[in-house]
Amino acid sequence: MSRTRAIAQVLLASGLVFPCFARAIGKPPAPQSETAQESWHKEFDELCSRTQDAMTLSEEQLAGLIRRCDAIAPQIDKLDASRRKVYGGRLRMCRGLYAYVLDSKKNSTTNARK
Amino acid sequence: MPTYSIRRRIPPRMPGNESIHNSCSAFLFVAAIFVAARVASAQIYLPQPPPPASQYGQVILNSHAATGPGPVVFDHWLHRSKFTCRLCHVDIGFAMQANTTGVSASTNAQGFHCGACHNGTTAFDGKPTFASCSNRPETKQCYRCHSAGRKDVRQYDYESYTAKFPKAFYGIDWEAAEKSHMIQLTDFVEGVSMKKAPMKNREDFGVTPRYSWVHPIAFSHQKHTVWNGCELCHPEIFPAAEKGTAHYSMLANIQGQYCGACHLKVAFPLNNCQRCHASAPLWAP
Amino acid sequence: MRKKIFTALALILAFCQAPSQTGVKKKRPLPYEFGQVIINNYSEKNDLVPVVFQHWIHRSMFTCRVCHVDVGFAMKAGATNITALDNERGYYCGACHNGKMVVNGKAVFQACSQNSAASDQSRCQRCHSAALKVDSDFDFFRFSAPLPKARFGNGIDWEQAELLGLIKPADFLEGVSIKRNWLAVQKDFALNPKVEGMPDIIFSHKKHTVWNGCELCHPDIFMGVKRGTTRYTMVDISQGKSCGACHTTVAFPLTDCQRCHSKPV
Repeated sequence: MSRTRAIAQVLLASGLVFPCFARAIGKPPAPQSETAQESWHKEFDELCSRTQDAMTLSEEQLAGLIRRCDAIAPQIDKLDASRRKVYGGRLRMCRGLYAYVLDSKKNSTTNARK
Repeated sequence: MPTYSIRRRIPPRMPGNESIHNSCSAFLFVAAIFVAARVASAQIYLPQPPPPASQYGQVILNSHAATGPGPVVFDHWLHRSKFTCRLCHVDIGFAMQANTTGVSASTNAQGFHCGACHNGTTAFDGKPTFASCSNRPETKQCYRCHSAGRKDVRQYDYESYTAKFPKAFYGIDWEAAEKSHMIQLTDFVEGVSMKKAPMKNREDFGVTPRYSWVHPIAFSHQKHTVWNGCELCHPEIFPAAEKGTAHYSMLANIQGQYCGACHLKVAFPLNNCQRCHASAPLWAP
Repeated sequence: MRKKIFTALALILAFCQAPSQTGVKKKRPLPYEFGQVIINNYSEKNDLVPVVFQHWIHRSMFTCRVCHVDVGFAMKAGATNITALDNERGYYCGACHNGKMVVNGKAVFQACSQNSAASDQSRCQRCHSAALKVDSDFDFFRFSAPLPKARFGNGIDWEQAELLGLIKPADFLEGVSIKRNWLAVQKDFALNPKVEGMPDIIFSHKKHTVWNGCELCHPDIFMGVKRGTTRYTMVDISQGKSCGACHTTVAFPLTDCQRCHSKPV
């Protein structure tokens, strides 16, 4: 037992085991990298590329798009001033359009039911 | 019977009586300010008498008085006898208030404003119109327009030019002059005006005054559209409103709004009551 | 105390009689002035002359959507809140005015630079030019001469110019615009005026969506979802609401009645 412990201690000291442990504990958080930025940008591009199709989407799809817009809004709010202004405004416009089209679809379905 | 003045009716000022005195004096004070303000801004319900007919419609343009040959004196009567109101105020785009159009030697030279016709080439009655704001020595005729304070520089004289025109209660009866073909108004100038689809003329209608003692007004859309088209008045001077909802008060007219945009300084003035209030008795203030 | 209140009331009443400036026929902007926007959020505060933006130059090259949706400009002067830093980072004006983008074979000049030398003054003045006489690459008269004429506004029939292929406004800006599908054509429809005798308005959705897409107008400018429920009055329009957002200062103005009121009664 004492030899095993000694070997374990040596290995620990040499740092061979440490990395595995480190992964289990958890890496320190990486700095705001481009990967994180790109993810919201990708999502933004995907969301706001559907504005031309808005009239052909179903109510569920529109509601889903609105939810996703609301989800990335806080991420955009954390950006620097320039990008916050630009992308915040653009997101507001495309979210607004989806809400508008959803409203008008709901209105016409209600009328159809009447 | 003893007569009481107002002063006697109010109990004499004594301790305990101050509130009535304060209220009365405050009321008089308020009334005095009110009347003074109204009179000071000439907001009385009668329009001011207009100037002599030869000066009626004169516009002094002096936005650039500090530089150049001095203020411009523009007399409406000469242009009125040749062109419709619409041509200058819609096609060329002059504002209906002095010094707000932004006319300058450079805009004239570029062919805008006065330069739309006064360019040395556009001809009326077979004569090319002199170029305004031209720096070429042979065409320098600055004083034909920049005539403020100068004598014997204008080409046309009011009395001789309008001698044969039918006269109205005040000044010239332009409507009668046009009907009798004494004047023929140009409404379209090539290069300045553009052909547009005709719009159906709105009907003539009566305007019911708010107060029972005022005689009703007969407004002729037909007559106005002949000279003005639609765009001159709508929507800036008369924003669209359902008939009967807009109130065009005499006060507003006297301040230059609505009918007063023209009928204060250029078209027949507001004190020619019978031209609009047709059944009103003849009375000149 | 009562006297002071009375005096105040009297003065208020007296001043209420002051003449208003409504109902006056204003000048018609000159063709090269129409669509001009003066931007002065920060210019004068930084000892620069306010920016003069000319719509007519940009209108011939880009659709309304590229600038007002993709780049993100607001529809009212000063509402976008553009700063020099935004431009330098490649946003707003800087999305194109970055010294790299090529238009008509020439690189577009860079807008705003933090470290500017005296030699940059002429570049700054290309935009910061209010009340200055500045040489532009574009001369309005030469530019508009071959284009079909219109009655008002810039004196140019932009719609006709595009139909004839004389201008080709781009609808996509690389790096800024998002790739979108073709828009399903919206139906044109008629609007009935409430003033009898005025010809019906034929509103062309098709024409508007070619330049604007959907998001530019909906819901910011037009929020009614049910046709026939919203009332668009000329008074509102002339104050810049609904149609007036564009058709008072940039698109053909309201004096061109027949462009909208085009259906014979």
